Amino acid sequence: MSAFATLAPVYSMPAVTPGDVDLPQSTPHDRARALNRFLASVELKAFRIAKIALRQDDDALDVVQDAMLQLARAYGERPEAEWKPLFYRILENRIRDLQRRRQVRNRVMAWLPLRRNAEGEEPPDPVEQAASADPQPSTRLELEEAMSVLEKAIGELPQRQRQAFLLRTLEGLDVAETAAAMGCSEGSVKTHYFRALQTLRAQLGDLWE
Amino acid sequence: MNANDTQASDFEQRASALLGESVTRVNGRVRSRLNQARQAAVAEIAAGRQRTWRGPLLLQASGLVAAAVLVALLVSAHYRAERAFPSAPLDDIEMLADTEGLDLLENDGSFYEWAAGQAEALNTDGTSG
Repeated sequence: MSAFATLAPVYSMPAVTPGDVDLPQSTPHDRARALNRFLASVELKAFRIAKIALRQDDDALDVVQDAMLQLARAYGERPEAEWKPLFYRILENRIRDLQRRRQVRNRVMAWLPLRRNAEGEEPPDPVEQAASADPQPSTRLELEEAMSVLEKAIGELPQRQRQAFLLRTLEGLDVAETAAAMGCSEGSVKTHYFRALQTLRAQLGDLWE
Repeated sequence: MNANDTQASDFEQRASALLGESVTRVNGRVRSRLNQARQAAVAEIAAGRQRTWRGPLLLQASGLVAAAVLVALLVSAHYRAERAFPSAPLDDIEMLADTEGLDLLENDGSFYEWAAGQAEALNTDGTSG
């Protein structure tokens, strides 16, 4: 078998239009459908991850929306297999940006007590505050309380530990995927995850006995 | 696997179950907004694709414009240079470049004496003939 035999498939490839070398062979409609399918599969988990970090629905929705748009704009043409780590990396960057803006805003507002009192924080959404029409059995209350305690504890973890824990536990990424999403080595992921587990177990262990 | 690992595994399973449950309880308002955001992103990828396909055309058009601007600049510079240094007539240039006359004047004055004599002789012949 000569070396040319291995090159034969290259010659049989369709001609590539100049300027379109990076385009995959799928149609725009296929890509749009694939993106829709992917985003539908991650949006709820992404919202929960953002909500745990930011603790406000609207902020969480904003960062998820930004991450979706950024993925579509910058990486929509990339292979679908790359979307998940890319999406979660974008999401975490957005979360961090918002947290930094909050810190700056809080520092500024600390110097303006009168202004803060005049404007105040946004009033709570009455729809959000309203009790659900669903029955509230005691087991459900216990479940919600356990969720609340867990999410609060996760939200208080250092950022990298929180990220590693949620990507692995909530999103179900393996170590390699988590490393890709976090932009670090697999060893770092294991370290962050282990420390997160230790902290959470120390805080929640007694409650969960 | 030691006891600590087992404990961690139980803990992870319980945490994972709780977090999974919390995902299913996301309310309708949030789901609706997530759906809208997703549709906007999907529309964006279609727009992005169109931009990608137009890329080569835009590149060609911008190349043509750049070439036209370059030609215009060269022509304009040429005319400006002509105006600043008007071109001398070709004869003047040749005269200035010609050093033969000066050589004759400096090194061969006898030629002019001979030529003057020839002219006088012609005049004399003409008047006498």
